[in-house]
Amino acid sequence: MKDLQKQTAKTPATVERTHAWPTFVPAVDIVEHKDAFELHADIPGADPGSINVNFEQGVLTIHAGRAVAAADADTIYAEFEPGEYERSFTVSDQIDAGKIAAHYRNGVLVLTLPKVEAAKPKKIAVTVN
Amino acid sequence: MAFTDLIPWKRGTQALAKSSPDNVFAALQREMNSLFDEFWRSWGALPATPRAAFSPSITVDESAKDYRVSAELPGLSEKDIKVELTGNTLMITGEKKEEREEKRGTTVYTERSYGAFARAVPLPGAVDRNKVKAQFKHGVLTVTLPKTAEAKAAHKQITVKAE
Repeated sequence: MKDLQKQTAKTPATVERTHAWPTFVPAVDIVEHKDAFELHADIPGADPGSINVNFEQGVLTIHAGRAVAAADADTIYAEFEPGEYERSFTVSDQIDAGKIAAHYRNGVLVLTLPKVEAAKPKKIAVTVN
Repeated sequence: MAFTDLIPWKRGTQALAKSSPDNVFAALQREMNSLFDEFWRSWGALPATPRAAFSPSITVDESAKDYRVSAELPGLSEKDIKVELTGNTLMITGEKKEEREEKRGTTVYTERSYGAFARAVPLPGAVDRNKVKAQFKHGVLTVTLPKTAEAKAAHKQITVKAE
């Protein structure tokens, strides 16, 4: 169950890293609204200043670092450890990339991905003679 | 449990004798059920877990002065969390609810878990109950529990001398 909640990144593990701490894949929920998609990512402990949201060539990447453990204490029991969060998503043409908004609160990063005008559901009025 | 177990004057040897063949069959039935479940699961017909309930990850740090218990509680606010100290056990309870905004739309993909949780953390040493502090920041709860003077005195570093 713990593994489901927070997994160590698989793909970056094969990539050479220049630091010793692990990279985690944050758990994500995606909710569809009428005019936008909403992405909720759990990144507990992430410092707001360390959060980066990038959109490049159709790929949305979220990256965040978390505070390092206190130097004066020893960890005697651990179910989580300091590390970074990283995850990428391929975004379709349906999303208006210019209007992506991000909000961070209580350890959850919420991204709002508005749909382009053409992708929004439209009701077609039926005319009666 | 057999029905006679519920009647006080019928309990005893009779109930004991009766319960053992019952238990054999109950055990067999359980075994068969789990066998079938396992079979269907291997074909992907049944989900591996119903939907994992939320349970926060916990880390305990110890310094010379205190214990620090941290719990990852993303998406909760300080009002949803209850922290209690009973004896030498720290209890963290609460409930993670789906945010209202999320509910209004259609969930197309989900990995995060929700629900009520309770975690009990046994503390390795005595703490000063009146000076315990809890802080919630960026989805992480940190409870700082200062050690008592006796607990601090119990720890002594011995210097190693060379001859």
